[in-house]
Amino acid sequence: MSSAVAPNLPHTSVKPFYFNTSAHLLRITQQKANTLAEFLDALRECPEGSIFQHSFQTLEEHHFIREGFSNDFAHWVLSACNEPSLAEGLASVDVREFTSVAELRERFVQIVENFLSRTSAAATRSARETFYFCASDSIVIPTTFVARTLREFAEGLRSVSVHSIHHHFIEARLRIKLMSNDFSQWLLEDIGLTEAARQLNRIDIYTGTLEDVRNQIVRIVERALI
Amino acid sequence: MEPQTESEVVARENHSDINTVSSPAREERRKKPRTWETPPAPVPPPRLDEYRSIVGAADIDELKFLAQALKGKTVKMVNSTAVGGGVAEMLNQLVPLLNEVEVKTDWEVITGGNDFFEVTKAFHNALQGSDYKLTQQARDIFLMHNRKNRQRMQFSEDVVVIHDPQPAALIQDSEKSPRRWVWRCHIDLSNPNPEVWGFLRPFVEQYDAAIFSSQSFTRQLQIPQYLFYPCIDPLSEKNKNLDDTFVQQVCDEFGIDRSRPIVTQVSRFDRAKDPVGVIQAFKQARKYVDCQLVMAGGGASDDPEGAAVLKEVKEAAGEDPNIIILDLPPWCALEINALQRASTLIVQKSIKEGFGLTVTEALWKGKPTIAGAVGGIPNQIIHKLTGVLVHSVEGCAYQIRYLLTHPDFAKQLGQNGHEHVKENFLMTTNVRRWLLLIKILLAGGSK
Repeated sequence: MSSAVAPNLPHTSVKPFYFNTSAHLLRITQQKANTLAEFLDALRECPEGSIFQHSFQTLEEHHFIREGFSNDFAHWVLSACNEPSLAEGLASVDVREFTSVAELRERFVQIVENFLSRTSAAATRSARETFYFCASDSIVIPTTFVARTLREFAEGLRSVSVHSIHHHFIEARLRIKLMSNDFSQWLLEDIGLTEAARQLNRIDIYTGTLEDVRNQIVRIVERALI
Repeated sequence: MEPQTESEVVARENHSDINTVSSPAREERRKKPRTWETPPAPVPPPRLDEYRSIVGAADIDELKFLAQALKGKTVKMVNSTAVGGGVAEMLNQLVPLLNEVEVKTDWEVITGGNDFFEVTKAFHNALQGSDYKLTQQARDIFLMHNRKNRQRMQFSEDVVVIHDPQPAALIQDSEKSPRRWVWRCHIDLSNPNPEVWGFLRPFVEQYDAAIFSSQSFTRQLQIPQYLFYPCIDPLSEKNKNLDDTFVQQVCDEFGIDRSRPIVTQVSRFDRAKDPVGVIQAFKQARKYVDCQLVMAGGGASDDPEGAAVLKEVKEAAGEDPNIIILDLPPWCALEINALQRASTLIVQKSIKEGFGLTVTEALWKGKPTIAGAVGGIPNQIIHKLTGVLVHSVEGCAYQIRYLLTHPDFAKQLGQNGHEHVKENFLMTTNVRRWLLLIKILLAGGSK
């Protein structure tokens, strides 16, 4: 909230930003799919943790890939089912457009349903490999980095692990239920930097590595420091 | 860089006279490669802080924070052998690291006579798909030795982890609550002998959780199943950084010409690794691109089947001077490391595989890797992103040609592969998974 901004010190907040990170343990669920029809059933029935794992979490696990990887569903549909148009549809789902896993699941289900309604023969064709639905058990871990000023914030951004960047910048929207992220929210509400907050939300997470994303965030914050 | 270990010093001394080897001498040397005849002294396991420069300070700090909440908790690991094999090797590294972060971890090994280990070896093979007739006598032997071990051992720890099928029945009649029992299965259960699995399954389902090495190795169970990928130690002899002078010396020793592309497969001489298929693929590829093939393996001296496969490999290679076949003793970790680092491409054209840690090693060294899409390899190689997957000799031949003629793409694969291992398949990630699982289990998060 803007009322939290310290009145006399530029870019200083009375509410510090605590950098956290999250650690995930992969659980193998009961759902698996050998055809697109089974895949659709499993998409509808799997735990929400599976949707999270194969969309949000897989981005973190593959944070080093610059292009060509969006989510596990799209990857399997292309590599194991050889259905490029469905794969493109699934790959185009941007997790940042969703503030709940239920909505995200609905979107994936809708894309597969639409494809199978047009291409019913593909529904029962055997995939080259089985898709195993996994889920994450997650634990939030604090780090040693705390920012009370914009300068400390930039330093924290440079120093934390990419897991922390993912936690605050990508996963956060499921927690805060806003089309935003922890960094933008702090810049907006506690530092009063509306434009920097907006610029952060425009960073494309699908065309670079998470390290690239971190560098872009740092650049925007550094520009705001000047 | 100065030699880091006693064994590296030995290696350097052994190799010191062959910095430059002419072509005929190189071919002569190939016939009788010199390797030292006894294993080097074991190297003490690294401490957690030694990994900081590899995975980053933030990751190590996260581990330490996770461990803080578990300080004073106790864990017991139980398996069937203290030396030899991947499980013992992994526990030798994991147990000291858990103790270092003050999660007190003991490791005990079950005992048993020849009868027990014959039965458990048969179970091991049957669970991975071999034919086997389960007799009442085999059941009785298995249960008797598990019962004797249960009477001998004490289970007072907060978490008891039983590795593999041999000690799986230790849980029978043991006090369960409040402690948590975990079954860590290191083998592929995707196609088990139904009789043996039917016998073991009731024991497995008494555990609070099971852990598998790949999604594809699992069975449908009524208990939570977790995915722990096998891992490599980036500080081990097999994987640590090497001085290029040493790499050159090893190549000279084995008659390998580093001025030309080197394609390498490292694996024991076993038909499951399709070594003859690799030679066929190499010969097809060499029609278009100049390269050498190094087939580095072992297992031919103490295994009659390995010797037969080595013979087939030599026959397939014929008199081709571009194919270098090396039958190495198991303690040549530094040489294997050097051969992998000297390679332009690594191939692992398996037709049946466990997790495939030789692939992990290749990716860690940033090498563009071509591998069969079997076992745990697809967990490591995301096709065209962290390596390439192949399904045939022809596919392998094409990928060798393609990657040798598209070095930028090959380099990108190697970089991505390295990052993939750093993120998912290093010892430090394994420690993090164990800490998370212990935390989740003790918080009542499973079953």
